Amino acid sequence: MMEGRSAMESPVTRLPTRRRTKSYGRSCFEASSRFAYTSGQLTILRIPTTREAPRARNIAERVDPEQVTLLIKNEWKLSYVTPLYRFRHTHLKKYSKHLSAFIAAEKQQGTAVEVGLETGYRVTFSTVLGIAETDEDAETVFIQIQSKPMFAATGDALKVVWSGWLTCVNGSPEYLHSLLPDFVSLPLFCSSGPENITVVVKSWFEKMFDCRFGSLGLDSTSLQWLCALWTGCHPDNNIRYLRLLWTLPTQPPLDVSYTVNPQDAWELWNSVRQEDSVDGTVGIDEVKHFMAGLESHFFRHFKIYLSSGTLRKVSTALGSAQQDGKVKILCSDYLATVLTLLTECAILKMPI
Amino acid sequence: MSKTMSKSHNVSEAESCIHGAANRSSRRSERRRADVEDPFGRALEYFSQVKAGTPVKGNDALENNLVLVERVALGRGLPPGAVATLLDFALSLRLGKKLLCSRVLKFLIPASAVPQDSVVRGVSWFCMGKMPVSAQILFLRWILTMFDLIDSKDQHYIYINDFCSLLLIITQWIFSLSPYVCHLLYLLTTKEHGKQPPLTQLLALYKVLCPEMIAISMPSKTRGGFKNHNLPWKTALAAVLKKNKTAEAPSPPLSLDIKEKASTRKRKLHHLEVPQLSCGPEIESSRGKAVHLQQLRSFAQLLQNLDNIELPAQMGSLLSSSLALHYLDCVHDESALLRLNFWLGSVLHEEFLFCSRDGNPENSTEPSQFLDMLISTQDFLQECFSSSEFFLFKFLAMWDGSLHQPQILSLLSDIPPLPVSRMKMFLFEPLQQLYFTSSVFFKCGVIECLRSMLWKWLTWHFVQTSHKELDVSLSSSRTMNLHMSEFLELVTELVQYVGRLASAGLQLENYHILLHHQTLNFYELVCDVYLKFNLPLFLLPPSGVIFPSLLATDPVTVDRLGYVIFRYRQNLMSAKEHKQQKKEPSFHISRDVFREFNLLMVAVVSCLWISKDCQVDVGTDVHKALVPLRTMLSYCKNYNLIHHPAFLNYAIEFHQKCWPEQTNVDLSSIQGKKYWYWYLEFLFSQGFDGLKDFIQNNMDHQSTPVGGH
Repeated sequence: MMEGRSAMESPVTRLPTRRRTKSYGRSCFEASSRFAYTSGQLTILRIPTTREAPRARNIAERVDPEQVTLLIKNEWKLSYVTPLYRFRHTHLKKYSKHLSAFIAAEKQQGTAVEVGLETGYRVTFSTVLGIAETDEDAETVFIQIQSKPMFAATGDALKVVWSGWLTCVNGSPEYLHSLLPDFVSLPLFCSSGPENITVVVKSWFEKMFDCRFGSLGLDSTSLQWLCALWTGCHPDNNIRYLRLLWTLPTQPPLDVSYTVNPQDAWELWNSVRQEDSVDGTVGIDEVKHFMAGLESHFFRHFKIYLSSGTLRKVSTALGSAQQDGKVKILCSDYLATVLTLLTECAILKMPI
Repeated sequence: MSKTMSKSHNVSEAESCIHGAANRSSRRSERRRADVEDPFGRALEYFSQVKAGTPVKGNDALENNLVLVERVALGRGLPPGAVATLLDFALSLRLGKKLLCSRVLKFLIPASAVPQDSVVRGVSWFCMGKMPVSAQILFLRWILTMFDLIDSKDQHYIYINDFCSLLLIITQWIFSLSPYVCHLLYLLTTKEHGKQPPLTQLLALYKVLCPEMIAISMPSKTRGGFKNHNLPWKTALAAVLKKNKTAEAPSPPLSLDIKEKASTRKRKLHHLEVPQLSCGPEIESSRGKAVHLQQLRSFAQLLQNLDNIELPAQMGSLLSSSLALHYLDCVHDESALLRLNFWLGSVLHEEFLFCSRDGNPENSTEPSQFLDMLISTQDFLQECFSSSEFFLFKFLAMWDGSLHQPQILSLLSDIPPLPVSRMKMFLFEPLQQLYFTSSVFFKCGVIECLRSMLWKWLTWHFVQTSHKELDVSLSSSRTMNLHMSEFLELVTELVQYVGRLASAGLQLENYHILLHHQTLNFYELVCDVYLKFNLPLFLLPPSGVIFPSLLATDPVTVDRLGYVIFRYRQNLMSAKEHKQQKKEPSFHISRDVFREFNLLMVAVVSCLWISKDCQVDVGTDVHKALVPLRTMLSYCKNYNLIHHPAFLNYAIEFHQKCWPEQTNVDLSSIQGKKYWYWYLEFLFSQGFDGLKDFIQNNMDHQSTPVGGH
């Protein structure tokens, strides 16, 4: 919300002379144009008011189907990551070894991972080619951690205990351009597995690539976008249900679960679609109208203003998303649409 | 017997003195005199020179010296030299075996440090194996207690190696029969023995140092493996150190003092931890001669290795120590600075913007400590991190004006000059809203913050312009890459902004005296901008500031106003002279400035001055905005220095001094020519220097009823 305000009010044109990030020594001799982008998101980032309407695409044509199943299986906890310093996609093998050694060391300290039967972890870094949409997007990196039981026979399959991935889909080109070449921006981090391993992995990344993680929640505008975008997919891909969860600020708080018949939802959505938006874009006004329609319907029956509460969760058969940043993608056809939205949320969290 | 002993000692000394050359003897006698004055030095000399085999029993000299040294040691601690002497004396077992050694060791409290050589010598005595076991144990415990004080100045690493090898010698000595002893231990040790805390602790260390050797798993909590023995020296040492610490002037040592973690309590979110200094990942092959910052101990070492220092893996760690900050000042690597800004920005955002407060006020010490750290860092670098600037702009929009108020205001004052439009939008607007809805103390804080900000800008500007004169090749426009005209516009905007805030604030707060002073503080900076910072900018305070100050009931406020007007005058006069001399076309001061100032001056002078008839010719082309001034003047008559509410007190006192017998106080009698000047002198003697400057400088130019001064 903050970012939105400052972004929209900020002047589009900036002064020709830009401020550097740091200029301690007044007698240093470099050229004066140092950080071309330091005005950061105060000027660059804007919350989009229109989005491309989702189009079903068979992602299996571009991405290895096995890898796709890895991405859509789990419920992911979202985080944002500041750009990684000197991350190389060509060093993934070394990173695998390094991270497993790091986890082992942390385990020995007895702080991070509970002492169980496992004696070791195997870490695999891999690139998921084809998720990236533009040339600026860095390729997605998938991390899987498997445990090696102590008394395993050689043929035993390893147990996957944790997985996570870093991605960037349709990241703001202005932002990505403004980074120095030493940095790789993979702003969205999704993790699934025990929290203590997540902590270790994050701290490894922070130590290796001098980045920082922060949790990424989804505000109600983002959830409303997802709600509208998924509903719009109904003709191509049956959403089966549209379930919304609100929490109303009563004492004690009142949770309202609101399930809408998919066909009704779609008809409502179709009715608020403006005629001039045939070029495949969706506007924020349409989304707001759609939500207002759903809310007024609810009011007519229960005399409760849902708009006074907060939207906490949206789910359909295509996927679900929660306010606290938990996301499940159940249909790979709309992966790009969802990830674009999430990447955008992550970039909006960047400190500079 | 003992008396003869000590006598004979002295006699022999005296004899040697006679035999020696004349100058030597004189030097000796000087030293002797010093010795008489310094019994402690004499006692030490005794211990260093006493010969082996000297009897102990009934030796008064020994006993006296021991008591003396003991008293000094427990009182203010022993200087390093004394520690060395006494340690040598005790461990050499020159005078008997057991008692003396442990007695000396027990009071061996160093004042500041233990010389490394003395420990090395001590260990070699130890290894000779003549000490009784109890003394050996006592000595080892003494080393353990004093470990942190062992002096290691410049040869830190050498010392570590030396000392380790010495400890190895000890071990070798203990285990000179090691194969057999170990074998015996091997046979005797059972599982229960193996769990003894000291052994586990040692094993754990070995496991860290060479993990390939030890494959067993350690219990995670081995803390407390080494008991913190209640060693006899601890309390005495602490007392001595504390005493000495308060005695000497506080001079923070320049060292790699990693700041202590704010609290050991585990926070749920570790936003505020500054990472530890550590070298980069081994994946990237580093240069051969690279030096890691955490190896450096002193500023001299930093200077020697400045070109070879490898940046740490996490740039944020540079904020952890003062030495690293010195290095940060030399870093010109864009990526490194960007990393630092990402880290800092993310910490600030997570803690203050994204993190939902759980409404727990105890949580606020850690964040404010972090902010204090940031403030002192920025003060040191004399620059604002851009990440903290962005953070502040966002934070200001949601700030309630009370959370971490002193820190936030202090950080705000570090904001560098930015284009006016941005400044208005991100700083002035939100700050104004907070200003008008907060207490008078917050208002004072805001004015002070803006004053400090202006002062920093002006200093930057001044350094920039003087740099340009020194060396044109310097592309120096980095702290401020605004053009001169933009900078002037910004300063003007800021001063006018503060003028608006102050006039409205004074009215809102019923002319609160603190706000008065804060405002005048600000104008004391503004009035001297030309002379002090070489900036041709003359911005007068608005009427909403001048007249409340002029009519204030507090004499100091009026006095400060007098000073401010006096300085404005000096600046304007000097600018006028400069203009006439150089005839630079670019140097232009608007006529309006002079006119406005003259009008202000006339108003103030005719108000404070006796002004029988306040006929002021304000001209016909007075600026329209200044018209209210003229109407003000008619009321000012009753506010001359005698009747002014702020000075009434002084006038009455003066009257009583002049006419002590008169009970009927008629203040107008002071207005007589002679008394008026005496009264002024009286006021000046009360410390109203601002008023003095103001009046004395304007006397020559204003027609006064009292003629020349």
